[in-house]
Amino acid sequence: MISVLEYLRPEKLDDALHIMGGGEHTPAAGGTDLVLQLRDGRPRKILDLERLGLDFIRNAGDIIEIGSLVTHAAIASNPLIAKSLPVLSRASSLVGSLQIRNRGTVGGNIVNASPCADTVPALLLYDAELVLKSSGGTRTVPLSQFVLGPYRTSLGPGEILHSIICRKAEVSTGWSYIKLGRRQAVNISRMTLATSIFMNGDGKIGSVRISAGSVFPTPSRIPRIERMLVGRTPSQELYRQAANIAADMMIKESGHRWSTPYKKPVLINLLTRALTEAQSKLIAGMVS
Amino acid sequence: MKVRFKLNGKFVMLDLPGVERLIDLLRERLDLVGTKEGCGKGECGACTVLLDGKPVCSCLMLASQIAGHEIVTIEGVAADNRYAHILNAFEETGAVQCGYCSPGMIVSAAALLARNRHPSDNEIKRALAGNLCRCTGYSKIIEAVSRAAERVAQERK
Ligand SMILES: Cc1cc2nc3c(=O)[nH]c(=O)nc-3n(C[C@H](O)[C@H](O)[C@H](O)COP(=O)(O)OP(=O)(O)OC[C@H]3O[C@@H](n4cnc5c(N)ncnc54)[C@H](O)[C@@H]3O)c2cc1C
Ligand code: FES
Ligand code: FES
Repeated sequence: MISVLEYLRPEKLDDALHIMGGGEHTPAAGGTDLVLQLRDGRPRKILDLERLGLDFIRNAGDIIEIGSLVTHAAIASNPLIAKSLPVLSRASSLVGSLQIRNRGTVGGNIVNASPCADTVPALLLYDAELVLKSSGGTRTVPLSQFVLGPYRTSLGPGEILHSIICRKAEVSTGWSYIKLGRRQAVNISRMTLATSIFMNGDGKIGSVRISAGSVFPTPSRIPRIERMLVGRTPSQELYRQAANIAADMMIKESGHRWSTPYKKPVLINLLTRALTEAQSKLIAGMVS
Repeated sequence: MKVRFKLNGKFVMLDLPGVERLIDLLRERLDLVGTKEGCGKGECGACTVLLDGKPVCSCLMLASQIAGHEIVTIEGVAADNRYAHILNAFEETGAVQCGYCSPGMIVSAAALLARNRHPSDNEIKRALAGNLCRCTGYSKIIEAVSRAAERVAQERK
């Protein structure tokens, strides 16, 4: 048995925001995280976001705007996203099972803020910004500032996540998405890495983006090694050097824990592999 | 709350108290007990039903959420001639042992064959990845689904 005091499914965004403004309702998207939370928690009033027209994918020049109610299945099967946000496409296709992807939404994934939320490291790669709405108005927050810690975000009272704005990848970027460990597994064995690489005509790295989940206190990009790699000639040596710096940063930011002797070599190997994989995809793409 | 939806091909109107999950509504109030509850956490797929043709876990939905949608349960799949080959193939290949996972497996298989007439073994595996079976070791289930697909293809020739 679940404990729901009230279930509302308004058809207009303004109505929904007005109800949210009352401060009593919990928003529901696909329910794949929420329904379990309703089973043992105190009874709640539910506001279903399904009918608000938030399941859109909009292509606008350099950016793609994704409605918060778009499911993982819809993202994974969208050709525009496969082309312009390939790492997000891949991340969504790896979420749970088909049943979960058919219901689970990108918005729910972000707001639930599990340390192993698959779409978050992918979206960070594309400088995602979140459009948050309340009866008081609209604000935009970079995803990198939204997640404050495990299951903690800066979502304000009465606010809903409306959509996510992503900056498209440059044409012909190589990329990789590596997910280690199962969702239910203990934290130590989980890690997610997302990378994309763009090469200059002279064979040097033009730009590179790297983000990590379950490495730092919050999912985040690693700007220090991104900067370090730009303008360099790619090699295993170089990638390993960058990965070592990332591992030192992890220890500095997350502190030396009982899991560090395990996590440090894993991060070094995985990040080296992630960068190598991204680059090899790029080379394969150029040849074909 | 009054809710109208389509269930196994027929329109239904119900008054829902709002404390039920979809699986509770199906099993306890509508007596559609073919849908099973295994884990109750979205992990085993025993509770799989079709929501507008797509497999979903009925243990992770609120009953009220189906308003305006179409639900097909294993009872609906079993009564649908288009899927008779799946049920037969499951029996013939020995893909059913204790049978607890079978309704969910068959519902997922029906959704797969409705969108992909010639699934490869990998596509079958991927489509059924959300359905766990503790008995068969999966190979017979995959065999059953590909056999059903072949028969459907032959009939259409
Ligand atoms: C078996 C299983 C496997 C899973 N595997 C994975 C996996 O591999 N990777 C992964 O990342 N996740 C996984 N998940 C977790 C979950 O499916 C995802 O996080 C999913 O994206 C959540 O989306 P939802 O629409 O179902 O959210 P809901 O459950 O509807 O909501 C989740 C939370 O976010 C809030 N919320 C939702 N939408 C909004 C919005 N637009 N504005 C404001 N608040 C909102 C809700 O109030 C709730 O607190 C799995 C879950 C299960 C049950
Ligand atoms: S009972 Fe729903 S997935 Fe196990
Ligand atoms: S036949 Fe027993 S769980 Fe599948």
